[in-house]
Amino acid sequence: MRLELHRVFVNKLVFGDKTGVRDGILTVNKKELLALISEDELLGKNLDIDVAMPGDSIRIVPVKDVIEPRWKIEGNGQIFPGMLSDVDPVGEGKTLVLSGAAVVTAGKIVRFQEGIIDMSGPGADYTPYSKTCNVVLLLEPADPKMDKHDYEAACRMAGLKAAAYLARCCAEAKADRVDAFEHGNIREAMGACPELPKVGYLYMLQTQGLLHDTYLYGVDVKKILPTVLSPLEVMDGAIVSGNCVSACDKNSTYVHQNNPVIADMLKRHGKDFNFVTCIVTNENVTLADKRRSSGYATKLAAMLGLEGLVITEEGFGNPDADLIMNCWKAERLGIKTALLTDEYAGQDGASQSLADSCVEGNACVTAGNANEVIVLPPMKKVLGFPDEANVIAGGWQGSLAADGTITVELQAITGATSELGYTKLGACTI
Amino acid sequence: MQKCVVVTNNPALYRIISAGRLIDGSSLDVLIDVRDAIHLGSRMLTHPLCGNLRPCQQPFRSVLIQNNPEALVHLESLSMIEEAVLLYRSYQNRLLLPCMLSETLCEDYAFVDFELMRESLDRYGLLSRNGALSPDLALR
Repeated sequence: MRLELHRVFVNKLVFGDKTGVRDGILTVNKKELLALISEDELLGKNLDIDVAMPGDSIRIVPVKDVIEPRWKIEGNGQIFPGMLSDVDPVGEGKTLVLSGAAVVTAGKIVRFQEGIIDMSGPGADYTPYSKTCNVVLLLEPADPKMDKHDYEAACRMAGLKAAAYLARCCAEAKADRVDAFEHGNIREAMGACPELPKVGYLYMLQTQGLLHDTYLYGVDVKKILPTVLSPLEVMDGAIVSGNCVSACDKNSTYVHQNNPVIADMLKRHGKDFNFVTCIVTNENVTLADKRRSSGYATKLAAMLGLEGLVITEEGFGNPDADLIMNCWKAERLGIKTALLTDEYAGQDGASQSLADSCVEGNACVTAGNANEVIVLPPMKKVLGFPDEANVIAGGWQGSLAADGTITVELQAITGATSELGYTKLGACTI
Repeated sequence: MQKCVVVTNNPALYRIISAGRLIDGSSLDVLIDVRDAIHLGSRMLTHPLCGNLRPCQQPFRSVLIQNNPEALVHLESLSMIEEAVLLYRSYQNRLLLPCMLSETLCEDYAFVDFELMRESLDRYGLLSRNGALSPDLALR
């Protein structure tokens, strides 16, 4: 399979008469986009769209998801298969990407589950979405007593529709850069460089229930058995986030589209190892599911003859149990593992970081401590509802001061400790 | 005789299940009750740390267990619940209690606690009324 990402760089957003891109400026016809998302009768009458640029004194809260505008301009299927488009396979051909732009969905759903994005100030350093030119959808339900499942789905779809719309309107634009990715079938991938180890990527997805779900080709991942997936399909939106837990380590749809683990493994394919395939798996609540999925995922890895697995988890607590089961089961099948997670080690960093552990888990990369406290100075403009800082996970009653300053743990900042590594946090030896 | 029951401190959830034990206490009290049951032969069917919040952010806790009187202690369940109790105990003085929350926030937490359990409750046949939870009604 070969997929070309035709990147059109965006460094400015303006509202205008016709949606399109020119010289790095993405013009958005606000009326047209509003009309598009208002088609959903589940959404209310007071929807709004605003823009937030890097460096702006703007706070967006509460944030549900972030999506990168993409549209397939050649090849099979269309972006977000099974969710926005038909169910045909994706991952080959050409896909236009509005690089530097993002759609942010904001509004109250289940309030403590959502996050904060600051476009400037110290908080901006902790979220990758302060560096993107954001089209912010401010959403509300048609009926305040609406079923939360329906409303969550409406918000999710609004974000996907907006992202696809923006990129579709720019489909004729000339790419500033084309990134080509190739990934062969399993036989080719295994044999790319016979002397190198055969490595796979075990991609764990959050799947515990409402606002804790993820979708693969439109299928609720908590209902699947682990399965193989080409890394290129992920770039075309095969995986869509339906969750908000917690803001810091939620894998947004944007991060799935730009999964840095996949990008790096593709770069190192044929050089340091043979990157054979992705295996996607879930993080269910029922213990029987945990045993089944971890057993099945590692069995697939063994059947494929993998010698190593990179394992990323999503979330904290319950998913730690899945991470650890995947780790020791793989290791006992003779497959070396490297884990990527974040930590909840308390505000002083001295508490136990993960809810579970095993002796086999001796190669682990951390994306940071979600409990670190940060003070976010007031912003001139708030898109959304600032008082949500008092109820968001990572905040507490009193987090929001009278002058607009917010004191929270990193947990409240969208994408701060991304367990796919899409974060600026890191460690260095001094 | 084996029987599945939910141990919970979430009154909203308790009202719509067919077999359960309502704990008048904290999330930690729920975990301790489950641990005691495991010592008497029960085994856990759901993970005791489901959800994605830290103990001090989790006012409600629900765990599905299967009572097996006379059975030997299920070591996997025991290990898992001891880890969970230990984690919650480390936050003992900072636990979030339902009585500390506003009504609307309490409803949100109760609702998500139920949502996390919904799939498992359905699978083990414990939803007594189609699983339809309206927390704003059930909590009153």
